[in-house]
Amino acid sequence: MGFVGLLGCVMLRITGGKVYDPANNINGTIQDVCMDNGRIVADVQGGRTINATGMVVFPGGVDIHTHVAGAALNFARAMTPENQRAAAKFMHTKTTRAGIGGPTPTTFATGYLYAGMGYTTVVEAAVPVLSAKHTHEELRDTPIVDKACCLLMANNEIVMDLLEKGETERAKDVVAWLIWAAKVYGVKAVNPGGVTAWKWGKDAKQVHEPVHGYNKVTPGKIIAELAKIVDELGLPHPMHLHCNNLGAPGNVATTLETMKVLEGNRAHMAHLQFHAYGGDDWHTFRSEATQIADYFNKHKNLTCDAGAVLFGNAVTITADGPWQHLLYQLTGRKWGNLDVENETGCGIVPYTYKGSNLVNAVQWAVGLELLLLIDDPWRVFLTTDHPNGACFWRYPEIIHLLMNADARKERVKKLPAKALSRIVLADLDRQYSLYEIAIITSAGPARALGLTQKGHLSVGADADIAIYNQNPDGEHMFRYPRYVIKAGEIVVEEGDIKNVRDGHEFIVKPQYDPKIEDFLKPVFQQQYTMSFENYPVELERVHGLQQVKIS
Amino acid sequence: MTLTIVKNATCTFCGCVCDDIELHADEIRIVETKRACSLGESWFKNHTAEHLYPDALIDGHPATVDDAVEAAADYLLNANMPLVYGMSNITCEAQREAVALAELIGGVVDSHTSL
Amino acid sequence: MTCTLGEVKNRADFMIYWGGNPAECHPRHFTKYSLTQKGKFTPNGRKDRTMVLVDIRETPSAKAADVFLQIRPGKDFELIGILRALIKNQRVNEAMVAETGLPLSKLEELVAMMKAARFGVIFFGMGLSMTRGKHMNSAGVLMLAAEMNAFTKFVAMPMRGHGNVTGADVVMRYTTGYPFGVNLCRGYPRFNPGEFSTVDLLVRGDNDACLVLGADPGATMPQPAIDHLARIPTITLDPKVTHTSRLSRVHITTAATGISAPGTAYRMDEIPLPLRPALKSPYPTDEEVVRRIREAVARRPAWLPERNGEMVV
Ligand code: SF4
Ligand SMILES: [Zn+2]
Repeated sequence: MGFVGLLGCVMLRITGGKVYDPANNINGTIQDVCMDNGRIVADVQGGRTINATGMVVFPGGVDIHTHVAGAALNFARAMTPENQRAAAKFMHTKTTRAGIGGPTPTTFATGYLYAGMGYTTVVEAAVPVLSAKHTHEELRDTPIVDKACCLLMANNEIVMDLLEKGETERAKDVVAWLIWAAKVYGVKAVNPGGVTAWKWGKDAKQVHEPVHGYNKVTPGKIIAELAKIVDELGLPHPMHLHCNNLGAPGNVATTLETMKVLEGNRAHMAHLQFHAYGGDDWHTFRSEATQIADYFNKHKNLTCDAGAVLFGNAVTITADGPWQHLLYQLTGRKWGNLDVENETGCGIVPYTYKGSNLVNAVQWAVGLELLLLIDDPWRVFLTTDHPNGACFWRYPEIIHLLMNADARKERVKKLPAKALSRIVLADLDRQYSLYEIAIITSAGPARALGLTQKGHLSVGADADIAIYNQNPDGEHMFRYPRYVIKAGEIVVEEGDIKNVRDGHEFIVKPQYDPKIEDFLKPVFQQQYTMSFENYPVELERVHGLQQVKIS
Repeated sequence: MTLTIVKNATCTFCGCVCDDIELHADEIRIVETKRACSLGESWFKNHTAEHLYPDALIDGHPATVDDAVEAAADYLLNANMPLVYGMSNITCEAQREAVALAELIGGVVDSHTSL
Repeated sequence: MTCTLGEVKNRADFMIYWGGNPAECHPRHFTKYSLTQKGKFTPNGRKDRTMVLVDIRETPSAKAADVFLQIRPGKDFELIGILRALIKNQRVNEAMVAETGLPLSKLEELVAMMKAARFGVIFFGMGLSMTRGKHMNSAGVLMLAAEMNAFTKFVAMPMRGHGNVTGADVVMRYTTGYPFGVNLCRGYPRFNPGEFSTVDLLVRGDNDACLVLGADPGATMPQPAIDHLARIPTITLDPKVTHTSRLSRVHITTAATGISAPGTAYRMDEIPLPLRPALKSPYPTDEEVVRRIREAVARRPAWLPERNGEMVV
């Protein structure tokens, strides 16, 4: 059964492998890695030994931005039975639960797919408070990997109403209270103000213009205040931001404007690929990765993830309702939209990125360009904004393209001729080293998340490790780890799930004035439809809970 | 008898799932259902804490839960295509167990939705 | 194109209830969530809202409506099609309009009201989703709401019936990928409504054992399905000894959901709510009993999908 993995105090030694542990400046040195009782230790006496000669040893992968659990994703599962039918099947076995892969995998399959690729920690990037209980229930049944959640905040009307009145101190207490109510790890801002406006069928496209229904609150104000609140609360992960105007031609201006607003605060720019476009319309659509990367390289307060696109089936599913409606009008495909009272909304449109389509070709290039043009791998991380740009289980395809300039250039040649003048990818010769791959898939995102026990192999760190057979074909190498170790136990061996155990969920408890409830309760009762007392997520509902200390 | 008051209780009788009900109960039955509608009220009052029914029945005869569980396991495992059906008046936690069971016995799991 | 009920409470100034009788089946829907409730942008409650009821007969809900449209039975799909054409100013076939039993002028008025709304919502009930062409009807209403977004904000929402049926949908979706009628006989989830739906399965006599949870099919299903349940080993878990219990080989009494059993239930808009039982039951919960059955099965030699000779990779 997939319910409980038995915890053993197993000792394990990996010997003979080339170790890539960027956080400790270890770059391919052959050395032993030992673990005991789920943690890395200096040495062990006895226990099993893995001979990793000819293999490389990485800290387990960390996905800083993905959508694998929650009401929106579950809505998408219902919308796309045709995807489910075509997807990979997961058989019920003595160790594993049945499931379905594809763009919106079932919870059990999600755990197996991530672990099967060497990833051991994932961040669900979009959780509304109202349905957070549901997200935690899904995460409970997402085995093996450790998890953390980001709370959707930039369209929370209680917070926005306070910002309108200039009550920023109280807004800070509300944000802190909501984080604890939802039992989450970080704060996510999605299309600030735009989702609220969408509830009247509008959008928020200008960073410095008031949001529909407000006089003073602009997207820029929401972004600046939230980033400040997150920093003041001392959360381990900075504000996680999905900018306004996602996916739109010419949105580079919005993104640059937004990054200026963020000066002086930390922020993580999510799926930057979707925010780095030039042109005035779909016909003149082009890459502005160079402009974005130039600015980004100079501003060390920011981190980002790629949100790269691969050709093939995806499901676009974001809290960005207006963008989804636009996509629906453009594609004529199915459209699902779900507005969540007072907090957020989400849209869902199944989508296929085609290599022959000019816009899609540019999008594909932009993701890779950003990964290659941003010079510091500690500040740009591998994601596809799963399942928006591509499915997470296709990461190895991207790794291959990053490591191999020839393969990339060959692929560029097959793009529509018109696309070539709109991108710079063909001119980029940079090739990622294994060391850099270890940074963008593990060490970097772990550091940006403030998860101090992840992404490295120092003594005391969580013993989450991926071991790969060295292979010049990066895609093959990273798709089929030889071993995956989670909390010191071998969970995957030659592609088979050997051992299923439940992961942890990381949460934080920021400080707030408990009297904030006296303010919140009446407002809540006026605007919501459930009892205030039933709103917070109960602690028992978060399985494998680990509260991370706030500095 | 002591009277318990439960605030913000949730009624699961219809899809409204109102969660603002105040229940007053003695040890045996619910005596008051503030804010519930008449359907909700009769739902709450229709179930008591009395031992009105046998714990279990096998072929119509009273049995222990242990024996009934074993009998159920035998029937379900020996079937080629067992069906797990209903699920609308049970908790999500029970539904989650039901799916796991359906998987273990290689069966079909279905709710009222398909009717 | 759906939302949680609080969006309706706070914003909806126009609502259509289609094929349902909320006054009797969801008694607090009007007062708690929609029609008369006062919300953030609807401070005057009922006065800020217009309500249209579409149904085949005049139920007590009609009294609450500003406009009641009595449609001929089985003509919902046609009416949806007509409305979808009218909002786009397309010509409609008059004979088809006549068949719905509603005059064109009324429908044009309706479309004008829909377009004039600031935030419109269509609640569709069993009468729409459970009758002839049920899947087509629900899909049609969702399309209509989606298309209305070219003019104004519009959403649609099913009026789900009993108890926690929404929870069943939700849980099956994240565990198996499908909302109901999931076949795990081959060791992985398969979905084919009609083929793997309970009534079809039972009427065809496909199942050779059945576990009934929180339902009383013995009282509600077509007779051939009931006959089959009586023929095969049926196991029933219920707080009472029901019709189904009486035709079962095994019955186990369980605590009543939300009354003496704790846990979670989902509202029709998929918002999870905690249950706060007021009584202590002398019986175990469904959750506990199903888990015990699962553990009892797990103690026996395992069934593995290979047994069917159909390994799928
Ligand atoms: S109180 Fe009435 S309206 Fe509310 S859930 Fe119970 S039966 Fe439905
Ligand atoms: Zn995202």
